[in-house]
Amino acid sequence: MFYSIWLQIRVVAALTLRETRMTFGTSHSGYFWAIFQPIFSVSFMVTLFYLIGRQSPFGTSLALFFATAVLTLDLYNKLSVSLMRAFTSNKSLLSYPMIKEPDTLFARLSLIACTFLVINTIFYSGLMVVGLAHFPAHPEMLIYAFLTTCLLGFGVGAINAILYQKNQAWQHVEKIFARPLFFLSGVFYIPSSMPPEAVAVLKWNPILHIVEWTREGFYSNYRSDVLNIAYPLGLAAGLVIIAMFVERITRKQRV
Amino acid sequence: MIAFENLTKIYNVKGVKKVILDDASYRFADRQNVALMGHNGAGKSTMMRMIAGIELPTSGRVRRTEKVSWPMGFARGFNGLMTGVENVRFVSRVYGCNTDHVLEQVQEFAELGKSLNLPIETYSSGMKARLAFGLSLAISFECYLIDEITAVGDRRFKKKSEQALKDKIKNARVVMISHSEKTIKDYCDAGVFAYGSKLYHYDDVNELLKDYRKFC
Repeated sequence: MFYSIWLQIRVVAALTLRETRMTFGTSHSGYFWAIFQPIFSVSFMVTLFYLIGRQSPFGTSLALFFATAVLTLDLYNKLSVSLMRAFTSNKSLLSYPMIKEPDTLFARLSLIACTFLVINTIFYSGLMVVGLAHFPAHPEMLIYAFLTTCLLGFGVGAINAILYQKNQAWQHVEKIFARPLFFLSGVFYIPSSMPPEAVAVLKWNPILHIVEWTREGFYSNYRSDVLNIAYPLGLAAGLVIIAMFVERITRKQRV
Repeated sequence: MIAFENLTKIYNVKGVKKVILDDASYRFADRQNVALMGHNGAGKSTMMRMIAGIELPTSGRVRRTEKVSWPMGFARGFNGLMTGVENVRFVSRVYGCNTDHVLEQVQEFAELGKSLNLPIETYSSGMKARLAFGLSLAISFECYLIDEITAVGDRRFKKKSEQALKDKIKNARVVMISHSEKTIKDYCDAGVFAYGSKLYHYDDVNELLKDYRKFC
């Protein structure tokens, strides 16, 4: 029992190192770009909003407001898309008996989670240093929200991986679902200021709940009308359980 | 111990059903070097992959209490974009070996010199085979699975591999697929013949070869 857990940890660790190498290349600049890409995208949006003279929908800092949504959404997107190809691009690895398909998912999860942990830390502490953000009101909520995003991204990514391996056309279908998330996840607005008809639709988006959770964690006076912690958490846990279950019972047919 | 228990393996590719094994129970004689023979397409490589644990049986199970290698003789598990060194490191990490120690042994055996620091995709198939073979020798297994290994490399390297393998099986054993009668006689003490979705055991390799000549 302990041996098999240790074996699994060893395998996932080796795979994570390999993934790191494959994702970022040999140069350190690869890692630099991965970390600074979301930072650039937030800066771009801040500049754009500043130029057209718009105020932050909440608080005084546009950068902080965008970051709470963009970093969450980016983490989710990275996970769901990168996990989708984990099975197909690691097929050759399965010739080593101790590497099972879910290990490739765990490896990608740990790499992406670590990368985003670094991104979040750098970005938020950067904002604090230049005075564009204050210290989060409830830091523990940020951690819960981050972990929930990881869980949700993992669940969706794992299901994507199974479906994509079955039929590669799934990537196009997945895009149809993923594309509107940028507009449905409260990047530019707070859902409480939206008309109730819109909120009734928006609240089905689990990412929006996590974004609201992050904002409640950051701002001391942010009160979300939408946030229901049980929804994203329950959905994520359910998806992970379903994905792992389906993966296991269909493994024979898929390999 | 390596044993098949009520093992059935059926392939169903594009509507064509192929029965590799039909409710076969077979125990590979302990500590013996076993030859696995059969005609082309009898499913020898599939059985080897099931022994290794890469492929799952349709029903039944494989019992395995020794440390079994991956099927040697093909370099599928390498990543072309990573260098030889990185690939070796990865595999030794997965197997929980000392990476530097394994790397040293592979360097010495495979004689790839500086090429070891180049991506695998730049290697010739011979170089890849050298690396794969060197790597499987550097990690200690109790049972080596060999799928037509001797067809690899130039004359000198073949000789060297043969010697290295013979040294290895002093403390380990092999399960070997080969169509070469000489190789089988050289290495194996016992044999199993795959025929008509069943397995037949032979204590004497010469008997196995006799039947092999008759049926294949």
